[in-house]
Amino acid sequence: MSLKRAPLNRRQLGRELTAAGRADVAAMLRADVTSGESAAFRIGITGPPGAGKSTVVSRLAERFDAQARRVGVLAVDPTSPVSGGSILGDRIRMDEVSPGSDVYIRSVPSRSAQDGLTCNVAEMLNIMDRHEFDDVFIETVGVGQTDHAVQALVDTVVLVLVPESGDTIQAMKAGILELADVYVVNKADRPHASRMHAAIEGVLALSQRSGSGWQPPVLMTSASSNDLAGLEQAIADHRQWCGENIDPVLVRRRRSRQLIESIMASAVAEVTGDLDDRQLDLPVDALYTACLDALRTKGQ
Amino acid sequence: MQPTDGGHIMSLQGKRILVAKPGLDGHDIGAKIITLALRDAGADVVYTGLRKSTDYIVRVAIDEDVDALGLSILSGSHNEILDDIIGKLAENDAADIKVFMGGTIPPEDRPALLETGAVGIFTSEQSIDEVLSELDQALGA
Repeated sequence: MSLKRAPLNRRQLGRELTAAGRADVAAMLRADVTSGESAAFRIGITGPPGAGKSTVVSRLAERFDAQARRVGVLAVDPTSPVSGGSILGDRIRMDEVSPGSDVYIRSVPSRSAQDGLTCNVAEMLNIMDRHEFDDVFIETVGVGQTDHAVQALVDTVVLVLVPESGDTIQAMKAGILELADVYVVNKADRPHASRMHAAIEGVLALSQRSGSGWQPPVLMTSASSNDLAGLEQAIADHRQWCGENIDPVLVRRRRSRQLIESIMASAVAEVTGDLDDRQLDLPVDALYTACLDALRTKGQ
Repeated sequence: MQPTDGGHIMSLQGKRILVAKPGLDGHDIGAKIITLALRDAGADVVYTGLRKSTDYIVRVAIDEDVDALGLSILSGSHNEILDDIIGKLAENDAADIKVFMGGTIPPEDRPALLETGAVGIFTSEQSIDEVLSELDQALGA
């Protein structure tokens, strides 16, 4: 944290994030996106709806804010596949948990890759770096493709579950459940919390991550205890472990991969979005060739 | 994004809109209806919930860089609240955020509100489609 850091220009930051959210492929390519080491520490918080992610993020952000760190939150909410619109509700929950906080919270509609648009979170994170944030939380609903893409961009992934998440565990086995760095059983005052704790430890034991790598802790938290010190410590431990064990070149490549996947998905969506009726009446192999040609033209 | 529902206009696609309940008024059915209608018209909408201060509302409008801010007021204090909001937005380099209003606003108060800076006053006499259409025009300008 630099004492000479300029005061945060919230109006300017807001406008830059809006431009990033609206960027088309050409704009994404023009942006100064160096997907290398980030200045801000990035924490991804994910999990099924109702797990209490917003509360966890808000309380952690408050703790960091109290340490005079500049903290931001990108709250990614799902976009309606029917209308393309969204209700961005996470930030309100966070504001109610921590009223009067200085933490910068920004709602981001996910614009899943299925409809070809992306939320350009990579560029948003770079913007947060340029505004000298110390920590940025990215909150996502942990069940989809967007969530997976975001995980490539962060330093530490925290998965928040609740004791009733049993069915979700079954559904998530092959995805985020194996990829988190810290696991949290939230609302642990509810029945079956220990059973959930044991289930997660069971999945971890079966996965390929046992051994000399990072051993993800499984924590129990509850709003009634209001104590997230253990979670804060686990995140700090992971951060330290990464500093000692993770090759920044690998991180840069992982982020480059995510970025190009995002840009390619946007380019493909721009092409398929422009198809007219005549083209849609073509046999699929001719249509495929037409799309590839259109992509090539795009690149010129 | 192709509209599949013929019932609403998709022309607010990509617009960021804040729907707010300033002051002590505790009735938000109207605000919720508008929030959902805006979402169905393609907008990205934040609804603040009840009983928010004007400072909070302006802070959220700026951090979220919304295109428009809707104030739902059934308490009668619409004149004072609009003056306050317009003033605070201007102080924070956010005078370009368009403010619209809804609630219980008597027709005789409308000219002054429009003069102060509201781009539209929408009350329950209008249909949702009329509201969306007027808002789309106000935001397109």
